[in-house]
Amino acid sequence: MSFGNMNNNQGDYGNISLPLAGLPPHSIPPESSSMSPTSNTPLLPAQTGRPPANEFVRKLYTILEKNAYPDIVRWTENGDTFVVLDTGKFTEDILPNHFKHSNFASFVRQLNKYDFHKIKKKVTDVERSWEFKHPSFRRHFDEGLDNIKRKPTTSKRLPMDDDALTGGGASISLQAQTEYILNNTVKKDNFNKLKKNFDDIRSELDEVKMDNANYRAELQTLGSKYNAMVESLLTFRTVYENLIGNFQTLCTSLNEKGIQVPTNLFEATHINGHSHVYSPNNANAAMNMMNGLPTKSVAGGTNSANIPSIQAILSNGSAPTQQQKPPIQSPTGSVIGPALPLLSTPTLPLATNGPQAAMRASIKLENEPNNEAQAVLRPGFHVLLVEDDAVSIRLCSKFLRKYGCTVEVVTDGLSAISTLEKFRYDLVLMDIVMPNLDGATATSIIRNFDNQTPIIAMTGNIEDQDLITYLQHGMNDILAKPFTKDDLHSMLIRYLKDRIPLRDQQKVQGTPGDDGQRMSISTAHDPSTNVKTPASTHPAQSGAGRHQSPHDLTHRSPNVQLQTSQMQIDQFRDQQKNIQPINTMNPQDALVPDQDVINDEPMLKKQRL
Amino acid sequence: MSLSIPSAVINWDILNEIISMDEDEPSFSKELIIQYIDQVDTTFAEMEHHLHTTKDLSQLDSLGHFLKGSSAALGLQRIAWVCERIQNLGRKAENTFPDQTDILNTLPKGVSLTEEELKKCNGDDNDEVTSQDVEDGENTIYIALISKALRQARLEFRLARNALSEYYKTEL
Repeated sequence: MSFGNMNNNQGDYGNISLPLAGLPPHSIPPESSSMSPTSNTPLLPAQTGRPPANEFVRKLYTILEKNAYPDIVRWTENGDTFVVLDTGKFTEDILPNHFKHSNFASFVRQLNKYDFHKIKKKVTDVERSWEFKHPSFRRHFDEGLDNIKRKPTTSKRLPMDDDALTGGGASISLQAQTEYILNNTVKKDNFNKLKKNFDDIRSELDEVKMDNANYRAELQTLGSKYNAMVESLLTFRTVYENLIGNFQTLCTSLNEKGIQVPTNLFEATHINGHSHVYSPNNANAAMNMMNGLPTKSVAGGTNSANIPSIQAILSNGSAPTQQQKPPIQSPTGSVIGPALPLLSTPTLPLATNGPQAAMRASIKLENEPNNEAQAVLRPGFHVLLVEDDAVSIRLCSKFLRKYGCTVEVVTDGLSAISTLEKFRYDLVLMDIVMPNLDGATATSIIRNFDNQTPIIAMTGNIEDQDLITYLQHGMNDILAKPFTKDDLHSMLIRYLKDRIPLRDQQKVQGTPGDDGQRMSISTAHDPSTNVKTPASTHPAQSGAGRHQSPHDLTHRSPNVQLQTSQMQIDQFRDQQKNIQPINTMNPQDALVPDQDVINDEPMLKKQRL
Repeated sequence: MSLSIPSAVINWDILNEIISMDEDEPSFSKELIIQYIDQVDTTFAEMEHHLHTTKDLSQLDSLGHFLKGSSAALGLQRIAWVCERIQNLGRKAENTFPDQTDILNTLPKGVSLTEEELKKCNGDDNDEVTSQDVEDGENTIYIALISKALRQARLEFRLARNALSEYYKTEL
């Protein structure tokens, strides 16, 4: 009898149970007294022999390897599971022979303890078959047996199992319950550890909360400090401008009284940073200045309001000597100029028209007979391009240079602010979405110290809400991306047409760059200047205000901006529609400047490089 | 579902204007396009990085915006369109992205990609949502959609490069 032999070496099921569990006798539950004598007897010899821990599994493995009962129990085809085909015969024949009991449930439970799992029955399977699987329990895989161990908690329960072999019934369910409870209980020191962790986390959270509150408070202080700074900066700016104005008045009066004021004194009182920008191209600038004159005087003749400034240009242009200046630079002109920002409230009616209104007016005027051909941009405008995309930078600056502008590039809002603090530009083209600081916010900060330079937003976001935001931040206009050369040109014409490049203003007149603005401001206060209603601001309807250059009116209170922004958006939409037809109708608009510029191009390039 | 993506790969009105700048600076347009191609490669790589590691939607939003700008400036309108989708997905202003075949069906007759090119742009196609990703919450769906859009952007980029290479008679 082969099985008998096999069992001789391995001992029986009872042998292994206690040594494995390693439990002191007192932990064996009372029920163990009912254990059958058969399972107790071989106990002592087995203990001394120290058989492998998972005797039960090995026994089962041997049976399967020998394949002695292919009809009752065998490996499945793959060899990674085994199946009990006939539980009845298994219980009757095999269990008593090899496992010393005849309780199939007990056998199954034992399998469970070793972490075997019952495989769900497939439809095709024999009805009464039971299939079991353990990852390490495979055909011809002896090494795997070492990995099959009792589940830790179940080892404690082993004595009970022995009892269950005979007892069964109620005790099984009681045991299962206890097991369940024990499995789900947390040890006391674990609990304490967790509690400590939790307390730590809570105190850390409190600290973080506290820090957070502190930071918030600090941020608030910083914010108010920043506001105070900006305010004082603004005040400082105003005071500074007033001082400059007074100083110039003084110079002028001194000149009138025949006292020679050194020329360089004027230079010294102004922002020196941008002088290098204007230095090149002197002769050329003077030429442009002269060329511009005839048109100016013709147009000026139609509008009495413009006469003073026309005179100013004329006398400067024809005799650009220092002695000629005093009469033009009338004391009132110089004083009103710098002070204008303070007067913005009284000039509200003007302001409500918005910069674009004035702009459009000026464009329209230029389109009157005699002026049509003069829709030409003077070369030499200095443009600050604020853009972070290399391709757009290259393209846009190419276009600008084509129109005779010199271009300076910065790539984010912060640099734009610091650059505009130091230098002056005829125009700023500003991208909106940029790293560090977006264009709209940058503009609102720039507007704290510079209300004059036109700032054009370049953006792909042209939803109404976006447009309102840009205008509220003090941007003058919006150039929708992607734009064509012509779109850009109409924008340049709109803002720079009547203007003389800053560098030329300085060179020709020998005076600081904002003289041009001062002149136009004085005309803006002339009673004969039309105060337009919003309805009349459309190019087709407006007639006057030629010399109100856009930026003279850009200083507006936020409320006014709010009121006007919707109107401006409508205008912007109109422009969008109109730009194309206008350009195709007047090909000169695009062509003439090109020709002018081509000659200049090499020089301009050299200057840039 | 009708798609709003422009049909033509290149808006020649815009690109011709740039090409006309070659008059006084030969190869201006070509150099600009080469610069753009570099920029696209870099931006795609950054997007890929954010898709797989940081999963930072706002970064993807701004990268989409960035590439939209330069693509549109050169008249590469289909890429610009896809980039706008990426931008909007990044800011959760949209929550769908059309299927590749639907988008490719909008191409004009005679314009297509070879099997090989399609395969190359689509990569291993491993970007589908996996079960581990789900725990990242609702952002996962946007990350997955942006991955899909990025694949489309690569396709559109390939189409644009083909068209440009044909125009310049040289491999770009």
